[in-house]
Amino acid sequence: MKQECQERTRHDCMRVLEGRDNALEPLRKSELVVIGGTGFVGTWIAEMVAALNDAYDFGIKLTLISRSADQFANRLPHLANRSDISLIKSDVRQLGQFPANADWVIHAAANPDVRTHASNPLDTASVIVDGTMSVMRTAERLGRLQKLLYLSSGLVCGAQSVTANGIAENEQGAPVPDASFMYPNAKRFAETLCSAARAQSRTPVLVARPFSFIGPYQSLDTPWAQTTFLSDALRGHQIRVKGDGQVVRSYLYGSDAAYWFLRILTAGEVGDVVNVGSPTGITLQDLAKEVAKNFEPSPEIMFNTAPRSTGRSAKLLPDTTHAQNVYGLTVFTPLEEAIKLTALWHRLQNN
Amino acid sequence: MNPTQEIRISDPTLRDGNHAIGHQLSAENIAAYCKAADAAGVPIVEVGHGNGLGASSLQLGEAKTPDHIALATARENMNRSKLGIHVIPGFATIERDLKPALALGVDVVRVASHCSEADICERHIGFSRNEGAEVWGCLMMSHMISPSMLLEQARKLESYGAEGVVFMDSSGHFMPEDVRVRVDTLVNGLGIAVGFHGHNNLGLAIANSVAAADAGATLIDGCARGFGAGAGNTQLEVLVAVFERLKYSTGIDFYKMLDAADLAEQTLMKEIPTIKSVSVVSGMAGVFSGFMKPVTRIAKEFDVDPRDIFFELGRRKIVAGQEDIILEVAKQLAQQPKKGNP
Repeated sequence: MKQECQERTRHDCMRVLEGRDNALEPLRKSELVVIGGTGFVGTWIAEMVAALNDAYDFGIKLTLISRSADQFANRLPHLANRSDISLIKSDVRQLGQFPANADWVIHAAANPDVRTHASNPLDTASVIVDGTMSVMRTAERLGRLQKLLYLSSGLVCGAQSVTANGIAENEQGAPVPDASFMYPNAKRFAETLCSAARAQSRTPVLVARPFSFIGPYQSLDTPWAQTTFLSDALRGHQIRVKGDGQVVRSYLYGSDAAYWFLRILTAGEVGDVVNVGSPTGITLQDLAKEVAKNFEPSPEIMFNTAPRSTGRSAKLLPDTTHAQNVYGLTVFTPLEEAIKLTALWHRLQNN
Repeated sequence: MNPTQEIRISDPTLRDGNHAIGHQLSAENIAAYCKAADAAGVPIVEVGHGNGLGASSLQLGEAKTPDHIALATARENMNRSKLGIHVIPGFATIERDLKPALALGVDVVRVASHCSEADICERHIGFSRNEGAEVWGCLMMSHMISPSMLLEQARKLESYGAEGVVFMDSSGHFMPEDVRVRVDTLVNGLGIAVGFHGHNNLGLAIANSVAAADAGATLIDGCARGFGAGAGNTQLEVLVAVFERLKYSTGIDFYKMLDAADLAEQTLMKEIPTIKSVSVVSGMAGVFSGFMKPVTRIAKEFDVDPRDIFFELGRRKIVAGQEDIILEVAKQLAQQPKKGNP
């Protein structure tokens, strides 16, 4: 990765940590394992740990476990070659080699790509459900384990009601039991497995429910709105919005998300469930405009395939009152800034 | 019905029509019709071999005009209309076919699969979308699966990046209510636009297209004079007139559309598509309209009733690409005593 891009992601972490590093003190001189550690979340956690160790002398030992460990090492040598970061290549369903002295574990293993969910729903379910079962069995053997954070999904409560401002953690809804919704259904069942491990084996597990993120390290190849708009603009194409552009989503920047996860891991009560995301919604039409602002000439925005009505959830926002009140977590990087930083990072990386 | 609704027309005269004449459209034919369709303001004009990009072959029929000439000719002769292509992964490969087609100025890529096999479309949709083309997914022979299964497949196309999904009544089998239920299911289950492509085996292509629009489809296919496989497609100039009467807006100049249809009749087709007896049977049996020519030929060869072949193909759920089964069925029927009504 280009030096300037490395410096920018480091700067993002330092900006978030400024005045907030104390809240992560429990991590000092400890051993952290992230399963599924080479995706967007895992990479940002690695960046954050590297910043904590370099700038605040935390002395954290980080292990990233992933099927894609080799690709990670090739893509991000500035992280992979550090002496405080180790990589283990393994499928979450067969965790043979695992650091026995782990103090903290984050289980983030799942493929978030909607194309895989659509084409391989059974494999999607297997990675999530069998993977979580495997993690819970492994956790039983960890004598020093303080807490295990499971990264579920903001989709486990099903569609947001039209009138609600955001989905709260205690929302009673559920996803439709259909192959098209295998990912949230599997995540929901994985949360149940976490609860079972807590009840049966006293595993100190708690749950974070991520919503939508934005930032460097997110593949622009994925067909999400924020990545597609950025990809269109970077290629000099018009930005094409599916539908009428009135769908509302929210986005949390990568370094903010990493801090939120580490904070919830270290400060959370076992059994807690916490939404992770930005509570500030934006229509996809306005998101496209925000993206377009960062490019010269400004790309045209098209709504050329608007359906008469949309069956997809018109709004998906987290209610983050719990994260704010209990953990003091807020959005550190406003969306306008997040988009600007992401666009710049990709432009630097591509040049 | 929503009288304020805008309907976008996609015109596959120069693609589906190729089926009707053994893929023998010339560059001159393409140039003339593209000019006429462009003058009429047809939003999308689809061009190519009947089975789409890269499909010219001994097995499926060799096109008179190679893809690159057909597309370049169409592009040169259209200013307002978007240039569309039909892409069946396998026949069309990304490097050999899709990349050069996009470089020639294709605007709309419609990636198609059999209705239950949307998985094969992922790479072609992703590539086209990344190259900046407008991308639709198409589900052919859609009568062969239930509305809920159609939605499952359509959701796959949406997840791959398709900006709309067209379901195709490839054998002209649907009744208007069948179409309405499917559009309703798709509109309520997808976040992207829904389109319909009709065939006229049972004389219902226009009625089915109106049912689709009434239920919320926003893209409808139609061919000049119905020029297309088997009994032909939804007759475009009639569809434009019907939509005008129903107060749907298509943005097409009606007189110029009639002129384009007259031109198509005079220059593109040997005969205007009609609903021949065997097409009625193909529609009832739910067999791909494009099978009409090979079934007729093979039936003659084996001295069997082509209607029996169609009903047997329908019973076996045979789809495009399985043309070799026609021979097997004809052979078997030839060994049996002659049948009456199914």
